Amino acid sequence: MLSADLPPMTVVPALMPQGPFALWRSESGILSLQADRCPHRGMRLSHGFVRGEALSCIYHGWRYAQNGRCLKIPAHPRLEPPEAIRVETYAVTESGGLIWGCLETPAGAPPNFDGFAPLRMMSVKVSPQMIATSDEVDRRADGALAIELAGQHCLFLARAQPDGSTLLFCLIEEAAAPEARIAVSRALELFRCRLEADDLQKEAL
Amino acid sequence: MIGPMMDAWYPVALESRLGTNGRSTRLMDTPLHVARLNGGAIEIRTEDGRALPVRLRYGHVWTSLGAPTTDLFDIPEADQPGRRLVEVGVVRVRCSPLRAVENFLDIAHFPFVHTDILGAEPHTEVEKYEVEIREKEDEVWATQVKFYQPQAAKSASTGITTDYMYRVPAPTCSVLYKTCPARPGEWDVITLFVQPLAEDLCDVWPWMALFDDESPMTDLIHFQQMIFLQDRSILENQIPRLLPLDPGMEIPTRADLTSVAYRRWLKRHNYTYGAQLVAQ
Repeated sequence: MLSADLPPMTVVPALMPQGPFALWRSESGILSLQADRCPHRGMRLSHGFVRGEALSCIYHGWRYAQNGRCLKIPAHPRLEPPEAIRVETYAVTESGGLIWGCLETPAGAPPNFDGFAPLRMMSVKVSPQMIATSDEVDRRADGALAIELAGQHCLFLARAQPDGSTLLFCLIEEAAAPEARIAVSRALELFRCRLEADDLQKEAL
Repeated sequence: MIGPMMDAWYPVALESRLGTNGRSTRLMDTPLHVARLNGGAIEIRTEDGRALPVRLRYGHVWTSLGAPTTDLFDIPEADQPGRRLVEVGVVRVRCSPLRAVENFLDIAHFPFVHTDILGAEPHTEVEKYEVEIREKEDEVWATQVKFYQPQAAKSASTGITTDYMYRVPAPTCSVLYKTCPARPGEWDVITLFVQPLAEDLCDVWPWMALFDDESPMTDLIHFQQMIFLQDRSILENQIPRLLPLDPGMEIPTRADLTSVAYRRWLKRHNYTYGAQLVAQ
């Protein structure tokens, strides 16, 4: 997820390789990554709403803290929710304009891409392998995928989705002018069309 | 496994909307055709030609895949003079038929899902109410349910505390009785008749018998459709899609006593089509 795409007081489904998780930013700017299921009646928390420093489920308004603990059950306003009512909470951090989540204990800080800034995130209906092995993409020594789009040097981060598709992040050189960014964004869409068309053709064969 | 739900009654069409082409539909994974014969009679057959029982009641065509041991449940108010009978139509929902009924029995979601219509913050508290499984009728009942509503019905202009009673007379049907703004002392009747297409897919047919001589029929239908579409946005986003009957998967509170009784009643009768029995 791009930092810029998640303003304060919003929640979205973060598409992790293991499935969707509820990713939200509090009023003061703190990020949280939690299971996308309210333990009360199974509603997706990513459909909920953020007020102050807490996330509420859209179904019955059950309110959860950044540490996952249930703070309030509106149907019983005077009840202190039992400590056992909580949602699983995971590591999340921000670096270089990107939001990074980790479902296990993080082994270290997220990678750095000096001189580059995120431009766009998009879904592509092909596997990350297919993107990495595309003729247009070069694998750099540090493992990042490099590509030239609309004459600009760009980097790709490709993350697998549970359905075999890819969540693709495109980074562009920090110094790029707004016109160049627009041109790259359009070129990126064409790149996606080419990949998905190639994939369909392969399936047809 | 359909089990004992085989012998229950289900709605499969609106009688008034059944033309000469009939309606091809499904009931618990079984394809069937509801036909309007020359002369107007209605016949229901499975794909392999087996004739199914037919009942015409509450605006709908009802059938059963098995051998019902009781006739279709009675709603005495349906025949009461002066009521407007409202056929709301059909809404397809990607959820368990049992989840659709359970949501209908729930009031605590009103301020959050039907905001400023059936509920509004800060009036979120659910006061204690009574729930029982009536052994003689074999129905789940919730009574003395109260909730503050900004606009309880099409005919209501200001906020009032509304009284409710809920009734589950069949595994996928529920009848709700609520304070009638136009005629104090009487109850408006709002039902949810659910046709299970598959364990995780259903056609929902809301139907109402109201005291309201003012509102145009279109407005009454639109109001109920709006409410149910708000419910659908919840029902299609609950995990799992099936209704968990084993404790541990979900956490009920005192406000959920109707849902708890409904789940217990389903389990007791082995009404488990659309249910998840083992936590996964």
